[in-house]
Amino acid sequence: MIRYLVERSIIFVATIYISVTIVFFIPRLIPGDPLGAVFLNLAAVGGSLGASDLVEEYRRMFGLDKGLWEQYVSYLRELFRGNLGYSIGSFPSQVSDLLRAALPWTIGLLSVTTVLSWILGSLFGAWVGWRGEKSRFTQAIVSVALLLYTTPYYILALILVFLLAFQWPIFPLSGAYSAGMTPHLSWRFVKDVLYHAMLPALSIVLVSLGWWFLSMRSLIISLKGEDYILLAEAKGLSQQRILWHHAFRNALLPQVTGLALSLGNITGGALVTEVIFAYPGVGWLIYNAIKSLDFPVIQGGVLLIVVSVATANFIIDLIYPLIDPRIQIGSA
Amino acid sequence: MLFFNRKFLVGSSIILLFIVVAIIGLTVTPQDLRRAGAMPPRLPPGVGGLLGTDSLGRSVTLQISEATLKSLQVGLIAATLGTVLGAVLGFTSGYFGSWVDALLRVLIDVFLSVPSLLFLILIAALVRGVDVPVMAIIIGAFAWASPARQSRAQVLSLKEREFVRLAHLSGLSNFQIIFGELIPNMLPWLGANFVNAFLSAVLAESGLSLLGLGPQREMTLGMMIYWALSYGAILQNLWWWWLIPVVVLMCLFLSLYLVHLGFDEVSNPRLQQAA
Repeated sequence: MIRYLVERSIIFVATIYISVTIVFFIPRLIPGDPLGAVFLNLAAVGGSLGASDLVEEYRRMFGLDKGLWEQYVSYLRELFRGNLGYSIGSFPSQVSDLLRAALPWTIGLLSVTTVLSWILGSLFGAWVGWRGEKSRFTQAIVSVALLLYTTPYYILALILVFLLAFQWPIFPLSGAYSAGMTPHLSWRFVKDVLYHAMLPALSIVLVSLGWWFLSMRSLIISLKGEDYILLAEAKGLSQQRILWHHAFRNALLPQVTGLALSLGNITGGALVTEVIFAYPGVGWLIYNAIKSLDFPVIQGGVLLIVVSVATANFIIDLIYPLIDPRIQIGSA
Repeated sequence: MLFFNRKFLVGSSIILLFIVVAIIGLTVTPQDLRRAGAMPPRLPPGVGGLLGTDSLGRSVTLQISEATLKSLQVGLIAATLGTVLGAVLGFTSGYFGSWVDALLRVLIDVFLSVPSLLFLILIAALVRGVDVPVMAIIIGAFAWASPARQSRAQVLSLKEREFVRLAHLSGLSNFQIIFGELIPNMLPWLGANFVNAFLSAVLAESGLSLLGLGPQREMTLGMMIYWALSYGAILQNLWWWWLIPVVVLMCLFLSLYLVHLGFDEVSNPRLQQAA
């Protein structure tokens, strides 16, 4: 057990360290001095705002006048303090403040849709899997699920926008709340947010539903010949009872693992979907930063997602042995 | 056998069909229809204009043909690079063991647990004006982790089999054993990995392009959708401009996945019995 914990901790620390290092070296290894271009852009913005301090601040933080090693050390030190620098595009905002404003939208949208599609997909998959027989009906459903699963979120999002926001304008085209509203806690605002979240949510739910459905269905089918199912049948239990009390419960464990894994990935899960809907999460922030050459924001967004995904994976690694007793730690 | 597997057959025929149709589209359509204003703008699909034109009067037929081939090219280059790199690393790790293995295992785990799209975003945002090969190489350079982990596992299990021990006893070198004994046994299974990497590469290409990081001067499926959206194709109801690449992408993803399943069933006999 201790060996397992140590191993996982090493991997976690290594993940964070290596990705942070890669993020440092990428702009410095690419030929053509891309950081120089960023600084030119910065100088232009800083000059027009009369903020030559900004350019100086960046010189200090990136330490471009110093040697590579010194730059690296000061980069790590600033990161450790949580200093991601200032945004170029929306100066004088700090990158960390921009990310803090965007993160709740991403997490809110993705966590609700992930859990919802997991519940629906598992229930539906178990029901169809139990019926078993290869009818036209099940074949059609499986094909649709396969098509949904292999479609990226943002591709389905485009089709949904066209159908439900343009052709039949039931839902709004874009945004997270109506223009002119300021975020505050009231029923009217919450209703508006939910209404705007419907389309992005639907695209994510439908796509991930495909996967949960397929995996639950095959789990249930594989469990059907197991001894305890035969025993339950021999005891004369009703089909419904065997399915939900015996087969479903046993199939739930791998599904829970899958859910935990996708919950770990939510910060990086639907960057492009946010772009399609102009949904003000981390993906939309990065997209706008790309358009305005705002390198500090791109770098900050990438670091934030990398660190949160790695942390979530680490937490899952730690609690996984608690939920699945079949995992034999030590032999792994 | 692979060629008798239904999923493999269906998937690969659809991909082949797309390639053939795209090549025909590219050769039959006059090249000057690429130019803005070559045809009346916003022409819906029909007999004369075939798949219609975009808001600048450029032929959608030509665009979709080029985009399909270029996207597949990205997939091919990136998947080859990723699979070869991954297989070499996985082999080294699994076959030689000890500290090499320990080090590579950590590296593989690290790259598996970080979504590689993020590094791609960072690189593509700095390399302004990528073209198709550069984009493919960048994607491929981050596609090795999953094939590496799996080749490592395969080598570990194959290494202990009788025929490899026999090869050792008969005095074959490591090199001969890897290329003469191990790789032939892993081919179908490397194929499954290759197709998987191919699919992820096409996916990464369209994602990056939609974020505005694709090859600006070339047409890929992602770029075609990107331009269509930038020019407001949905709001102008020019459905043929954006929906055609969307449908082609969906068909490609589905058929690549079928090919992957096919490879999987062939290389994993347990799946065959279950099916």
